[in-house]
Amino acid sequence: MAAAYAYLSHCTYLVVGVIIRVYHSPALPTIRGRITAHPHPTTTGCSVVDKDHLSIAHAQGQPCPVEAEDDEAEDDDNKINVVFDNPVCLTHAVLRPACADRTRLNAPSNGDLRLEELQEQGPAIFGRYLSAVPIRSVSALPAVASVRRISLRLDLLTTRLSLTIAHRPNNGLALAAGAGDSPGDLLNLILRAFVPHVAVYSSEDTDVLLEEKGFDRGLWELLRPFGERIQGKVIIRDSNGSSRTYEDYSLHFTRFGEGIVHPESSTAGLKSSQASRVNGTADKPNEPKTGNTIAEVEAVVDRHLSYAEESFFGAPHSPTSHGFGIDAPSPYYALYLRRLLSGLPLTPHETFAHPVACVVAISSRNKAPIETLRRLYKESSEGNKQLPHWVDGEFLRYYVLVHDDERDDITRSMSLFDQMKRNLGLHCHLLRIRGTRSLATDDDSIPLPRCEWMSAAEELADLRKIEDYEGFEDPTKYIFESDATAIRTFIREMVMQSIIPTMERDVTVWNDQVASKRRGLAGRFAGLTRRWGFSTNSRSSGSGSNTGSNYDSLGFYYSNTPEAIMRKLADYAFMLRDWKLAYSTYDILRGDFNNDKAWRYHAAANEMAALSLLIMPQNLSSRMRAETVDTMFEAAYYSYLTRCSTPYGALRCLALGLELLRLRGGSSIDDAARWGTRLLESKILGPIGDALIKERLAVCYASKDGIGTQGWGSRRRKSALWNVLGAETWLAQSKFIQSQRCLNEARKTYSDLSTSHGIDKFRHASAFMLNIGQELNENMESADQEEDEAASDESETVDEESEALVSQMGTGGVEEKEEKEEEEEEEEEEDDDDDEDGEDNEEEDEEESEEESEGSNEESGEEEIQEQGQERRRGQDPSKAKDDFG
Amino acid sequence: MSYYFVIVGTEDNPLFEYEFGTSKAGGDGQARFPEQARHMNQFIVHSSLDIVEEVQWGTGQMYLKCVDRFYNNYVSCFLTGGNVKFMLLHQPPSSSVSSTSNPRSSTSTIATNPMSPQTEEAVRAFMLEIYESWVKTIMNPFYRVNMEVRSPIFRQRVAAAGRKYL
Repeated sequence: MAAAYAYLSHCTYLVVGVIIRVYHSPALPTIRGRITAHPHPTTTGCSVVDKDHLSIAHAQGQPCPVEAEDDEAEDDDNKINVVFDNPVCLTHAVLRPACADRTRLNAPSNGDLRLEELQEQGPAIFGRYLSAVPIRSVSALPAVASVRRISLRLDLLTTRLSLTIAHRPNNGLALAAGAGDSPGDLLNLILRAFVPHVAVYSSEDTDVLLEEKGFDRGLWELLRPFGERIQGKVIIRDSNGSSRTYEDYSLHFTRFGEGIVHPESSTAGLKSSQASRVNGTADKPNEPKTGNTIAEVEAVVDRHLSYAEESFFGAPHSPTSHGFGIDAPSPYYALYLRRLLSGLPLTPHETFAHPVACVVAISSRNKAPIETLRRLYKESSEGNKQLPHWVDGEFLRYYVLVHDDERDDITRSMSLFDQMKRNLGLHCHLLRIRGTRSLATDDDSIPLPRCEWMSAAEELADLRKIEDYEGFEDPTKYIFESDATAIRTFIREMVMQSIIPTMERDVTVWNDQVASKRRGLAGRFAGLTRRWGFSTNSRSSGSGSNTGSNYDSLGFYYSNTPEAIMRKLADYAFMLRDWKLAYSTYDILRGDFNNDKAWRYHAAANEMAALSLLIMPQNLSSRMRAETVDTMFEAAYYSYLTRCSTPYGALRCLALGLELLRLRGGSSIDDAARWGTRLLESKILGPIGDALIKERLAVCYASKDGIGTQGWGSRRRKSALWNVLGAETWLAQSKFIQSQRCLNEARKTYSDLSTSHGIDKFRHASAFMLNIGQELNENMESADQEEDEAASDESETVDEESEALVSQMGTGGVEEKEEKEEEEEEEEEEDDDDDEDGEDNEEEDEEESEEESEGSNEESGEEEIQEQGQERRRGQDPSKAKDDFG
Repeated sequence: MSYYFVIVGTEDNPLFEYEFGTSKAGGDGQARFPEQARHMNQFIVHSSLDIVEEVQWGTGQMYLKCVDRFYNNYVSCFLTGGNVKFMLLHQPPSSSVSSTSNPRSSTSTIATNPMSPQTEEAVRAFMLEIYESWVKTIMNPFYRVNMEVRSPIFRQRVAAAGRKYL
């Protein structure tokens, strides 16, 4: 019986594909007994061994060790089955024989290998036969959360590895209500992008403590991943007093004072000295920009794509669609959006990144705790580190005492904590963690969850670092399970008892005191008179600064002006998911900012107004849409791009608009597509984004349903067209897998049309599609030859319990040193054949219809097409060709 | 302005294709589509059939006006009683070209603005004229539904209509 256990390991990478090279040798050993998958030993110093290990896709997070599936394996010694249930995140693991378990390697034709040998060089022996490339690559799989089970199956005789990923059935999305249920969906992504930001500001001794624990970036690094998923339900009361419960609430932790982007003052060239004096910060005028740029986002996604490309090569197993279905986005698109939305910079024109609260932390090692806390508070509200004047300084301070359970006395900390509570009020917490670094090999260690919302720049830096380390240098950090529990409790308590109530109270107060004056008839008059007053004033005084308008000539509103407060109110309402209040407030602000010619503010307010209107579950008539949503997007787009030249904002606004409109279905889809096209036309996207949006437009059109049997009103032809364009764009960037996927989609859509021959009768168009297909085949083959690998692809569907969607990402690469080609398990072959039959049929259909079309074509074109058709027939089925000698 | 005119049968099959350029405002009647993007015209027209299928139920007219737009390409459609679609794709010249080489065309409404009522009227007249000759052509007793039309006379007539109206 060959069973395998896997311990959990973690790294910053997620997985789509695996390349396993298996070296054939005459003495292919059978492995008997138990094989244990160990996490990569980062600290044991056997880094040389790594490459000789079999590396498999691996799941982290849930029950560990994971169950091995051995019912099938009973009778067959040559198969290893590993099953991961409910994985949280795919990473890599190292599979190797466990010497301690007295594993025997048993080579039938060569006599038994002795146990001593194994103990000496176990990993090496194993590694002779199996060597693995570390799995790295993509998919910030939003889909991961929907993965129910991953099963891995290694057949030592045929040296095939198959990896099957079974998905949970995707629950239909209900707008807003069930936002958290299917994390793969983009609405949820959007909701989780705009969440309260909590700054972390800790004392030096806390930093030292955490450095000892292995976190050089301090408490922030430790807390961050946990903020992204708050345990349990969060109850929020909206402005009408009714409570709603959310299960998927999250926070983003930031480092205090980081990511500040100063406004470019409206009167350009205004002395920076004056600016810094007014802002009260000691910043240099040419501070590096910390905000997201489109280029960085593109670079990150590009890297992931290239990894996928690399690791899939050698096994071009006709990458069909992921089987995600329409509602789940392509992992790269989701990644693109996520990176676009993460690391929101701290800017004046929107307050999402402004701290809602600040965690002020000291550790139990501190000699003068209360004084330090006071000092930290002071530093956070005045002096050098103070946030600029456009940030409201009155945010909540949450005091945390980090207690080192191993070195310090708990009774002392308890009394200190009591003292803190007496001095500083109720927003305090005692966080007990263990001060030592947790190792992967510790019994109760769990890997630190991956941070999903790191900014593009940060991820890029991480990726670069990993690349330099070559391979397996695993950046995974481990923490003790007790620590994780403590942190979860801490965050939950902070959110439930401090942050949410404070935000609710702020919303109520601001709504009563500031916003309500502007609502209703009287409010509109007030706005009018103000506008009037402003215009006369500015005309008379000329300078225009600080006359009627609160808009400062430096390009921002001070945090105590009604406009700034209302913007904050609207953003708070948005973060608390009170869309109605958010929308009405943004709507008032739109006009105000327009009058003040505060274009960046104007753009942002329009954007958020449109988004909150679209998120609201109520139905919008198409007239309403045209009148409000379209004008808002138009204004936002124009202001962002033309008036402020911030393409980032324009991209964000239209991309989100596209998604939300698409989710509304029906005729909104046409609007969505229109904005998507607009985005393409604007040329603000880089190559990757361009291709992704094209792909997305195809999905968007495909999701429109037609009426009746003929599907009147569906957009299938359009969808296919965009897929073809996507394939072309990907191909131009040598992203062959993506290209192939798009092309397959397009072919499928065309063949599904009611007219049976799709676009084939249009000569140039179908020739163009053939060309793309041909070029793809050539490229994939040449890549194959370069790698000099005969690859066999594996597709196996394991899905016993439910009829969930099954997507296969199985790959297997076989390197053949000696030519052992007969070894092929019949079982496996059958599986392959089944799958390929389906594909063959489709292709034959297409070819038949092609021939028909040729018949009616003019003679000149006929030969050419036939040739192409044949070549395609030859080239198109790489998998089959490989099976012939594999 | 360049035009691509195609008659699409009931099964999305092209029955007749013709490319031409504007003859108004000093145009020489030659199509100026980029050579490497020849296929795009076909793709665009084919994808517009989606819109035609939707729009056709909303109006009693045979002329559906401008139904679709793809970047700088506009598609007008005329629907015959036999569910054969006359599709006309028009592509205004990119602004830089028109301003330098042909300044007079900028004043001409048809050439610059494909959505203007004048253009719509011109296209309607063009379509009606072709419809007439189309009906005459398919009255040929040997013609069957969805058969490609290769008649040189018909081609000439389309060319003449193009010169006359567009």
